Amino acid sequence: MTLLLDMVTTAAILFIVAAGLLAIFGVLKIINFAHGAWLTIGAYCAVATAGLGLNPWLALPIAFAVGAILGGITELVIVRPLYRRPLDAILATWGLGIVIGQLITLWFGRDVQFTPNLLSGTVDVFGVGYSLYRLFAVAAALVIGLAFTFLLEGTRLGLSAQAVIMNEMLARALGIDTARVRLATFMVGTGLAALAGVLLTPLTSVDPNMGVAWLIGSFMLVMVAGSSFSTLAIACLVFGGAQVLVSTFVSPIFGGITVAVLCALVLRISPKGFARA
Amino acid sequence: MLEARQAEAKTIAPKLSLSNVSSGYGPVAIIEALSLAIAPGQIFALMGKNGMGKTTVLKTILGFVALRSGDIRLDGASMSGVSQASLIASGVGYAPQEQALFQDLSVRDNLRLALRSDRGFAQAVERVYGHFPFLRERLSQRAGTLSGGEQKMLILGRALMLRPKLLLIDEISEGLQPSVVERIAAALREERRTNGTTILIVEQNLPFALGIADSWAVLKLGRIDDAGDVTAGTAARVLQHLKI
Amino acid sequence: MHENRSTPARVWLFAALALAAAVIVIIGPALFDRFTLNVLTRSMIYAMLAVTVDILWGYTGILTFGQAAFFGTGAYASAMVLSHLGASPALMVLALALAIIVPVLLGAFVGWLSFGHGSTPLYATVISLVVPIVVTQLVFSGGVWTGSSSGLVGYSGLPLGLPGYFRLTGICLIVTAVVALVFTRSDAGKLLVAIRDNEARCAYLGLDPQRLKIVLTTILAGVAGIAGFLYANASGVVAPENTGFVFGTEIVIWTALGGRGTIIGPVIGAIGIDYLSAQLSGDLPFLWNLVVGALFVVMIILLPNGLAQLARMVLPRGNEQASPSGSPTLAAEPAGSGSEAGNRVLAVGGLGKSFGSLQVLQGIDLDVHPGELVSLVGPNGAGKTTLMRCLSDGTEATTGTVTIAGQDISGMTPDEIVALGVGRKFQVASVFDSLTVADCLRMARASRNAPSLLRRSATLGLPAAAADILRSTGLDRMLGRPVSLLSHGQKQSLELAMVVALEPKLILLDEPTAGLTKVERTTIGATLQKLTGELGFAAILVEHDLDFVRDISTRIVVLHQGKLVLDGSVDQVVNSEVVRTIYSGGAHA
Repeated sequence: MTLLLDMVTTAAILFIVAAGLLAIFGVLKIINFAHGAWLTIGAYCAVATAGLGLNPWLALPIAFAVGAILGGITELVIVRPLYRRPLDAILATWGLGIVIGQLITLWFGRDVQFTPNLLSGTVDVFGVGYSLYRLFAVAAALVIGLAFTFLLEGTRLGLSAQAVIMNEMLARALGIDTARVRLATFMVGTGLAALAGVLLTPLTSVDPNMGVAWLIGSFMLVMVAGSSFSTLAIACLVFGGAQVLVSTFVSPIFGGITVAVLCALVLRISPKGFARA
Repeated sequence: MLEARQAEAKTIAPKLSLSNVSSGYGPVAIIEALSLAIAPGQIFALMGKNGMGKTTVLKTILGFVALRSGDIRLDGASMSGVSQASLIASGVGYAPQEQALFQDLSVRDNLRLALRSDRGFAQAVERVYGHFPFLRERLSQRAGTLSGGEQKMLILGRALMLRPKLLLIDEISEGLQPSVVERIAAALREERRTNGTTILIVEQNLPFALGIADSWAVLKLGRIDDAGDVTAGTAARVLQHLKI
Repeated sequence: MHENRSTPARVWLFAALALAAAVIVIIGPALFDRFTLNVLTRSMIYAMLAVTVDILWGYTGILTFGQAAFFGTGAYASAMVLSHLGASPALMVLALALAIIVPVLLGAFVGWLSFGHGSTPLYATVISLVVPIVVTQLVFSGGVWTGSSSGLVGYSGLPLGLPGYFRLTGICLIVTAVVALVFTRSDAGKLLVAIRDNEARCAYLGLDPQRLKIVLTTILAGVAGIAGFLYANASGVVAPENTGFVFGTEIVIWTALGGRGTIIGPVIGAIGIDYLSAQLSGDLPFLWNLVVGALFVVMIILLPNGLAQLARMVLPRGNEQASPSGSPTLAAEPAGSGSEAGNRVLAVGGLGKSFGSLQVLQGIDLDVHPGELVSLVGPNGAGKTTLMRCLSDGTEATTGTVTIAGQDISGMTPDEIVALGVGRKFQVASVFDSLTVADCLRMARASRNAPSLLRRSATLGLPAAAADILRSTGLDRMLGRPVSLLSHGQKQSLELAMVVALEPKLILLDEPTAGLTKVERTTIGATLQKLTGELGFAAILVEHDLDFVRDISTRIVVLHQGKLVLDGSVDQVVNSEVVRTIYSGGAHA
């Protein structure tokens, strides 16, 4: 039972972490290798919020806003000239990640920081005590997934973003300001990444390099998922589940690379991953 | 006759004018030294065989293909450096030929995308229903599941959503049955009559093009080979240019 | 990036540079303090890795973070032998052998994984991220064998001492850099640039770019392994970080900052940044990384070719425009046996192609004989280009058969079909923009005459038909000119000459005259007529300009809505009612 809960909650956490990367890759076909840095930014927003003595839950909107604003600046200055050079965009965003990591270090020091728990304790699930926060993560993943689905299918921005994904030329021919759609998408993606950083704080230690550990897993999941949130959810369930199984029955160290290795194999067999051709 | 028409177009300030326009992709020039002027409310047919640069003329006007030299003016104002977004907002409608619909989106979403906000959608779409009533029943259908003729009508309908003053239409009649072509022709005539719309059509279908146009030009290898006003003898003259 | 031919002056310059570097390496231990020697030894090992990354990324266009994994594997293989078995001379040889063999095997596997038919550049990058992560985790889980997270330390290495290590790594670096320089400037080295510029064109010249990339990955994994062996010995410690992808990104950063595609730039970048890091990071640890990171971002955006690009802008070189003396001279190659007239070169039966439910081609039957110039005409969307693709790539057709020179091509890749005698000219001139005219033509001959790994040939052997095209278009006087400086028409002619240089039996041409001037069209038309009429090539031409088609074709085939509606002589087709209705618009066939 605990195993099953672990699989679902792990998948939920992976989903939360990868969502922001997917939003950007799905629309812009750009891999934001500074994604890890934005997770870190979010986590430090939680640290700063606690430092100011504010309610820890306030860190969520603060992180989203900070992440989105910094993301907007990044899109304008760094990403915009590189849409036609996607491999260079990977490198430039990775370099940006280094810069952000060092800035955080200069500001907060390199030591591990602690944040107040958002939720603590356990609840009984079918007679088994289970971490309340991990269960909350499932709810948070569902909320993010649903909110994003609504954003994409229920709003003007989402409709415009879909138009840009499907046929950018036609979108422009209809007078859609594609540059603005891209900016907005990048801001949403980076905002989500920072939000995910806050949600990670109870699960992991907060230090200037915490994001890097999450980057590759998210990156691989997004490669497999393509541009759809539903396939991302499936990918997280399958590979997150596999990760828990491998960690439990083989070795936790191999569990750490399960997602990356399985995703690489899936991509070798089917280059489009889980996305329908 | 061409000179006369152009002189006339100049005196009443053309809606759209191209003077000495050259354009192309990268190092390749597709259009060379092309000049034409279209008066307000005129329907102008640009004809020519495949590969002669007709579509490129439209894409150059819209700024998708880089202008290498020359000048394009809309209502007398130069269009260089104007973004597509502001061009469309200033009253230009475009019905492209290929990949002209979001196949996986609904008819409604395709129509919505012609507007910048959903305010005014109901009113704008009513106008389109006036031309093509079948769309009213098909709003939730995926655009890709419409028949070929219905898709073409949706493409035109979408271009009409913003009540454009200048309409650019690329081979709308291609592969269509005569009855559908007639409905499209009727819609264009009606649009000009009620709205004073200036229309530039790129066509290979002679009966359709000459049936609605006031003036015509034939494009060959990126240059205007022949041009004039539509008269009784036009069809035979244009056919000479189009045959193999 | 302009690849200039190596004039003797430049060869001397490089030789002098290498010699100067060697002198510094030999006398270095007398000049530098211990700390500096230590750091520079490490920096030079890293510079070897930067050279391998430069060959893969700067020259061949494969962005890789995986060299760290091969380096780490080599280092761990050595350290494990030395720790667990000992450091006798025989075991030292074993350590070196394993430090090469294990990364080479891993490299071959990674290459096979990364470069399948149709895999994207991004996928290779993805794999290059996964491999270091996997290796790092294996190290972590290796227990006492690998020392887990603390790594291996305290084993004895080569008995050289600090000056000895400095000299050894210095010499290894110089050898690596010189070999890399010679190779990348040789005829064979141009293949790498050709793959980066235009992989599809490589395949359609009968080369197998995927296999070449696998070979390259394998060899460079071995070089990284040697660097790992040096590192394990010189530093006396190996740690999991040496295998990780973060280290992989650092190598890429050095390469990018130094200037990709120059070999020397990445060497200087690696040594300079690693040395400065060691000097400065003690005082301003975070600030230094901040500066490097920021510099890297700025460079990628503004100066994608690194400091070397800046140096080139500041110090303009005299020989941008290659001098005629540097161009190779044309040499005649004996013509291969032409195909006998009468036999079909191409037989197509019941060919169909569909994308999902959309039927793009159906029931196409077509025979082509030597000496024929068959034009394929039809309105937009009739399926002309799709048909051409089905003839040159055996994985395209959905139904029916395509037989070339008596052989069914189903399932064959483009380079295999080229070997059967098919040359394809694309609509947009598909040439290699970073190469010279002569190098482009040499690529077309590379599948027949293996290019030299060491030298730049002074001659360019071409079959007479290809040389004729060069002469009639004036390209024979521009052999040393970079393709990027050619006009559109010249590129089209060059591509045609490249295709003809393959000595194909059948040439497929997709709108060869699009965007050409009247004079250029006439030249191409005359060339095609000569190739088919006099030299016995067969050709299929897709063309929109019907006047052009009428002038040069021996036969015209009309395609409409995916079906072949007419196949006849020029007169038959021109005067047919069907064609008239198709082209005057509106009618259904």
